[in-house]
Amino acid sequence: MWKVISGIFLGWSLGANDSANIFGTGVTTGIVKYRTAILLTAIFVLIGSIIEGPKCMRIVSDLSRLVPIEAFLCALAAAITMTILTYFAIPASTSQAIIGAIIGAGILSGSADFSKLIKIVACWILTPIGGMIFGYLLYHSLKFIFDKTIPSLTYRNTIYGVGIIVAGCYGAYSLGANNVANVTGIYVGSGLLSCQMAAFIGGLSIASGTLTYGKKVMITVGKGIAPLDPFTALVTILAEALTLHLFTQIGVPVSSSQAIVGAVVGVGIVGGLRTINPKMLVKIAVGWLITPFAAGLMTILFIYLTHFAEGLKTILFIYFPPA
Amino acid sequence: MFLEKVFSKGKKENNVIGDIKKQINLLCTACGFFKSALETDNPSLMRQVMDIERAGDTIRRDIISRIYEGAFLPYLRPDLCKFVEIVDSIFDLLEDTGYRYLDLKLPEQLRGECIQVAFLNRRICEMLLITFESMLKGEDLREKILAIRIYEKKIDDIKFELIRDARKIEITNFWEGEILSQFLSCLTSISDVIEDASDHLQVIHVSMK
Repeated sequence: MWKVISGIFLGWSLGANDSANIFGTGVTTGIVKYRTAILLTAIFVLIGSIIEGPKCMRIVSDLSRLVPIEAFLCALAAAITMTILTYFAIPASTSQAIIGAIIGAGILSGSADFSKLIKIVACWILTPIGGMIFGYLLYHSLKFIFDKTIPSLTYRNTIYGVGIIVAGCYGAYSLGANNVANVTGIYVGSGLLSCQMAAFIGGLSIASGTLTYGKKVMITVGKGIAPLDPFTALVTILAEALTLHLFTQIGVPVSSSQAIVGAVVGVGIVGGLRTINPKMLVKIAVGWLITPFAAGLMTILFIYLTHFAEGLKTILFIYFPPA
Repeated sequence: MFLEKVFSKGKKENNVIGDIKKQINLLCTACGFFKSALETDNPSLMRQVMDIERAGDTIRRDIISRIYEGAFLPYLRPDLCKFVEIVDSIFDLLEDTGYRYLDLKLPEQLRGECIQVAFLNRRICEMLLITFESMLKGEDLREKILAIRIYEKKIDDIKFELIRDARKIEITNFWEGEILSQFLSCLTSISDVIEDASDHLQVIHVSMK
């Protein structure tokens, strides 16, 4: 059971990092207090993990046939990759890190299912596009509805405030439902945990990351986010949540960071392409490419090291048998 | 906080809006008193303008503290406060103009044009109130702001005539001329600040769309 620890660590890091994607804009616009944002994210992540989390478990567990120790090493490699990339401020995705790690382990054991990988990669490409489409459509449709039905400044003020909080809760729910498979899905395939137990443990670990370190990340990230107007913040969070929820129904864990970047670009398109920084998009794209490869290579390295250690143990056993 | 916001149905916001309306209404009253004081050359009426300015100050303080106690989204607060400050600076300008009037003997050949400017200032204030109410309802502000600009342009035209007429007046004492010049300058710049306030309403309107 100790092998689940690396998954819990990965979940903790996911919770600490990705909670900023949910309420970051709400907090920077001053609509939600940090404490409220953290608490709501933790609660709804856990609810989402328990209710819909198992939907994405199958694809992660079927990607490669792994033994429990390999599952442990995959989650460890993914967590270390995420930590290193975050340290160098390279945008990274937990989904890509864990899938890269599983494929790395699968290549070594010869059990990697590349047909499923194609489906996952297609979803990775479609995630920012989905976020962009949802962002663009929601911006136009909500603007039309609000302009027609809520002209009053006071009501609009209330709607934006309440809307951002509700959309944030939905975003946290979707994050839990979609991303819990990244954290503990690998243990379902290796037979360590059942789907429901994996969803519960994964949800708890993400929630603990949000509660213990989410505030610090949110403050750091929040300072770097250009303050959006309340309507754009609402559209962005809602588009991200819808994108994550859509991919949960398809059964593929995707990146919440990619979804929100896509949503911001979608809203940016409405304001003209000049609002989008191409250099930043290139940096994000580079991070997305590096993450799975780095995690995959690290997993291969870890497995070799484990095999080497086991070999050494056997040699020692042969030449120096216990008395 | 969240539930309080939902169930209060914008009580805090409505209080702030009520106070801002009160502030603009008071500004209209002050402009009315100013015009009447000029028409009747009544110093006690002019002193009423200073009293109204003090009442305006109290309302401004109430509004700003209410805003920062949690009325409206933080995104909107700085713009609303700025609007309230601009309206308050109109009170200040009106008070300064009143003090200068009390310090000088306004030449009769300038009085008619000054009354005309004071009358237009009152009209612009009323227009500002209409614009504010339209903004609350989410209506288009372009026509109202255009009307304010037209009034402001009229005052600018009168200002040049006033300066031309003022040059014809014989000045025997430096301070007499200085105060007259300051009075005319203050009187004709009130409309500029009201125009700034209306432009700021447009900013608030657009930022919530």
